[in-house]
Amino acid sequence: MVEPEIEDKRITLKEAVKLIPDGAELFWGGFGFQRPPMAFAHELVRRGKRNLHIYTCGSEIDVDILAGARVVSKFELAFFAIEGIGLCPNIQRRIKDGSVQIEDYTNLAMALRFLGGALGVPFMPIKSMLGTDLIRKYRFRKNKAKVIECPFTGEKVCLVPSVRPDFSIVHVQRVDMEGNAQIDGVVGEDSEGAKAGKKAIVLAEEIVNSAMIRMKPDSTVIPNIYVDYVVECPWGSYPMMVYNYYDYDLGHIRLYYTQCKTEEGWEKYCEEYITGVENHMEFLKKIGIERLIKLRAKKPFGY
Amino acid sequence: MSGKEYAKIGEYTSFEMMAVCGARNIKNGEVVFVGTGLPMLAAMLAKRTHAPKAKIVYEAGFIDSNAIDLALSIADSRLAYNAAAAIGLIETLGLLLQGGRVDVGFVGAAQIDEYGNINTTYIGDFENPIVRLPGSGGGNDIISSAKRIVVIMTHQKRKFVKKLDYMTSPGHLDGPGARKREGLLGGGPELVITNLCQMGFDEETKRIKLLSVHPGVTVEQVVENVGFDLIVPEHVPETEPPTYEELRILREIDPQRLYLGKEKK
Repeated sequence: MVEPEIEDKRITLKEAVKLIPDGAELFWGGFGFQRPPMAFAHELVRRGKRNLHIYTCGSEIDVDILAGARVVSKFELAFFAIEGIGLCPNIQRRIKDGSVQIEDYTNLAMALRFLGGALGVPFMPIKSMLGTDLIRKYRFRKNKAKVIECPFTGEKVCLVPSVRPDFSIVHVQRVDMEGNAQIDGVVGEDSEGAKAGKKAIVLAEEIVNSAMIRMKPDSTVIPNIYVDYVVECPWGSYPMMVYNYYDYDLGHIRLYYTQCKTEEGWEKYCEEYITGVENHMEFLKKIGIERLIKLRAKKPFGY
Repeated sequence: MSGKEYAKIGEYTSFEMMAVCGARNIKNGEVVFVGTGLPMLAAMLAKRTHAPKAKIVYEAGFIDSNAIDLALSIADSRLAYNAAAAIGLIETLGLLLQGGRVDVGFVGAAQIDEYGNINTTYIGDFENPIVRLPGSGGGNDIISSAKRIVVIMTHQKRKFVKKLDYMTSPGHLDGPGARKREGLLGGGPELVITNLCQMGFDEETKRIKLLSVHPGVTVEQVVENVGFDLIVPEHVPETEPPTYEELRILREIDPQRLYLGKEKK
């Protein structure tokens, strides 16, 4: 029997970001402090991408960096803040100067919009948003949501449009080179989101041998069929967290929050940690190995 | 609980009072949907006192969580500890919540109106906002579909408004029958807990009414800090103060006083 050759979808972070044209629509993975594609955000800033349109449920420093660096001009989302710390500082200023627009949905609505896109249906019904300004008010998506009477029961139901972004960007714990991605802990909306995009780029803490994935196929959340590119990216969510790998760095998160309250502070942060370093490895070196080691998950806790 | 020993004014903070009020409104065996902050403390306290069989759900996907360390984020890895399951948003907000399996949901508010409608999106005019707040997150989903809602928020006049700057989440909308008319599944807000008092909703009008004032707080103080016509019954009881046992457990859960506040009130 001939062993089938395993397709190799590995590319570098730099190559992955080059694939994204200005103006592209992205599904943005991670939820809250968990598994945000932080390294990808940094590289989008380094390459000077413009006018991206991001779809996500709830994101934090990652989207604030993208707004600060004027990489993203449109968001469709449900939530952004630095939980437990405060409001996203850069987005506040970008909303005021008109360079960022936000279309608001709920977390369930966004997750269902991704599921709808992945399922190939044009909309999804939902029992949220009814009776509120989330339906009545919009920024740029005129057909943001519609209330109809159910053709079967007559009850009111809200319809939200499905999304098929150009790319889905997710950061996970493990993937093999043909793109079978495994997530430990909560998935957030990343399963549906990864499958909604026309192309999916999976970043991972580790690229593991396919045999390891196939010994535990029930842990695979995003099978290879959905995945176009794979990027090995250790510490790719720092300063946020990856379950079973590392905890968040509260000191750095606070530094970000405090410093980015002013435009000058943000510019200094961006220069020091993003544009002033060559790549993700140089960023990690700047943070320093001692700091990173302290954040490693302590078994059996996963954080 | 017999032989309860109540703490005196000055021995606890207003945040501790609020967490205790929240915990007392969770019944044993209930499915409880909470966020981080005081609601998380309330649910953890309830589980360690009168409601050990309560099941705590966090929207990122943690189901029947039994965290021993306080979490900063709703998706914090700490919430996975001793959980029954770690799944995702469609599981928690969709199948569990919209599916009708959540008994009580806890939410916060930047502004609330007399029908319990909530704003967590914009302060100021929608076209020219002064502050952009975090948005709905799962808040609108929770208020839409949980069987009942407890609101926990700090008490300032600018937060209790006649008209919201933006209606993120539905309370009782414009009065009795409105939620049903709009197709909403859940029962809506039943209780509002602040650092001054507890408020409920008038059966007939679905407008906010004062239920109890916390020890040391006067009815006038509450009325002065509400921007709409608060319904004040003739007799307003004092809120049952925290017990020493409740305070001991709360301080064990939040030893760094991340959410409990530093000042004693």
